[in-house]
Amino acid sequence: MTSSRPDPTPSGVAVRVVLVDDHRMFRTGVRAELTDAMAGAEPVCEFVGEAADVDAAVAVVRAEAPDVVLLDVHLPGGSGNGGVDVIRGCAGVETLQGRPVRFLALSVSDAAEDVIAVIRAGARGYVTKTIGARDLLTAVRRVADGDAVFSPRLAGFVLDAFGAAAGEIAEVDEELDRLSAREREVMRLIARGYQYKEVAKELFISVKTVETHVSSVLRKLQLSSRHELTAWAMGRRLV
Amino acid sequence: MPTPYEPAATRMRATPGAASEGVPARPPLLRDRADGPTPGVCAAVARHLGVSRRLVRIAVVVLAFSGGAGVAAYLFLWALTPEVEGATWAPPPPARSERRRWGVLLVAGLALVVTGFALLVPAVGVSVRGSVLVPTFVIGVGAVVAWSNLDATQRSRWLAGGPDGMGWVRVVLGAGLTLAGILVLVTRGRSVNDLWDAVLAALAVLVGALILAAPWALRLWGDFRREQDAAVRATERADIAAHLHDSVLQTLALIQRRSADPAAVTRLARAQERELRSWLYDGPLGSQESLAAAVTEVAHEVEDEHGVPVDLVVTGDRPFEQDGGALTRAMREALLNAVRHGRPPVTAYVEIGPGGVEAFVRDRGDGFDLESVPEDRLGVRRSILARMERHGGTARVRRREDGTEVELRLPPIEGEES
Repeated sequence: MTSSRPDPTPSGVAVRVVLVDDHRMFRTGVRAELTDAMAGAEPVCEFVGEAADVDAAVAVVRAEAPDVVLLDVHLPGGSGNGGVDVIRGCAGVETLQGRPVRFLALSVSDAAEDVIAVIRAGARGYVTKTIGARDLLTAVRRVADGDAVFSPRLAGFVLDAFGAAAGEIAEVDEELDRLSAREREVMRLIARGYQYKEVAKELFISVKTVETHVSSVLRKLQLSSRHELTAWAMGRRLV
Repeated sequence: MPTPYEPAATRMRATPGAASEGVPARPPLLRDRADGPTPGVCAAVARHLGVSRRLVRIAVVVLAFSGGAGVAAYLFLWALTPEVEGATWAPPPPARSERRRWGVLLVAGLALVVTGFALLVPAVGVSVRGSVLVPTFVIGVGAVVAWSNLDATQRSRWLAGGPDGMGWVRVVLGAGLTLAGILVLVTRGRSVNDLWDAVLAALAVLVGALILAAPWALRLWGDFRREQDAAVRATERADIAAHLHDSVLQTLALIQRRSADPAAVTRLARAQERELRSWLYDGPLGSQESLAAAVTEVAHEVEDEHGVPVDLVVTGDRPFEQDGGALTRAMREALLNAVRHGRPPVTAYVEIGPGGVEAFVRDRGDGFDLESVPEDRLGVRRSILARMERHGGTARVRRREDGTEVELRLPPIEGEES
């Protein structure tokens, strides 16, 4: 793994994280792993709360106003939509710095509808539970900064869902139902397992530009009314 | 002009032929729903005895006129012969036009029989009055027509959906005939008005019985439905239990036995996770004939063999053909190289689109230079580069800062370019 240790925040403050997952063992594991990965360096994140179901999660997030919520997709409680219910229930909650609370979905489910559903509900990214500790730290930091985090799998879904793999390309960047040529390139490289840094190098652009493209794709994913996306969401009765 | 008997003739030829191998086993005495609108008793007997249907029919009719033995035998056989739909020996069901012709034949036959009876009865001088015989006969025919819908297979179909159009016609026709017959039999020439009170009373009794029986019948129906639901759930549960037993429990047992070997445990756990995941999220296995499925299978195979996780992302799909097979094998070789010589994570991305297929396999090892690979090492050169070129594609091995990336490309399937 070559991803370097995440840069410290400009303010030097650790990211305040709430961990939501219905398996205690998994919560313990993630905490231990992240703590180990941060050992000996400036702490990137600090755990301020945990929750095992939707209602507890909403309560903790409202009480703690964390920067980032690591959110499992499938959770008991609420109206039965798991992570989506948490995001809905926490709408409008702001962090101490006055920024909106960000969500990073962390799940074992690879099912397209689960992934798309949490993203469309407002999550800033999606990673699978098999992600390494370093990568997870990077992802947390990135989400805290308001960027998007795409795993290769999510990038694959996006390429499929927007028909980009089939060659559909937006004429103008603002078009919501298609990816622009550049966004498609970025998504393809992420699907190939490239880090943002590597994507930047490959395309001769800056990491910041890669992040901008990824955020733009995320926005399209959340706002587009493209048929395939709607169909997925419909399957989960979200629309 | 093809006669309606042509298919039947083929059938008759086919049946003894099938039975003539070795011991001439007789086909079982079974009625086939495909035999047309009649209960199919004669056809069943003919099939069983290996004689012409027409012969059986004639025999039945002749017997019917000798004291009604034929009718009795027919009814007896009808009641006791099980009915099946499309038995193994059964020919394909007759076309609709043939069924219609059968219907016409049936009606014509009935008319003939009725006329025959009417003429026959006075001639023979039987001391049964027509006013009794004809209504009785009508009742019988009506009952037969209506009952013919209640054969076992048909009943199950009723429960599933409604009876088909033909079924309704039969029920209505049968009920009408029976009611008319009873009415005629009861009035015996008297005015219907005289019977009006009796009919009203009978109706009142019927309605009363219906009201009394309705809750009971409803409850029975409800119980029946509940039982059915429970049975379905039980089957589902049994399926899940069987699956978990075959997969998860077996793997857990294996893991316990090999707990000293972390690599084996990881491999087992990973393989099991993948299997369970595909069972949970992918539903029943789709067509394995697609390129995406083939590529996925190869990645899983490599994962299983070496215990190194391969993160595979596939978008799009296309039918599996020869070139796709070459790409799959080349990709397998690339994956094997990645897990053997590279370092995890190994990522693979396959994009199948109208512009062709692109596959990328990437690892994080130290990488290698193709130039520095000795000429006698055939893996990369022959299995990947040459193979792709033979199938009209290209392959490229790129050494990156960290690790190696193999790119495979295939042109679109000919004639499918968009």
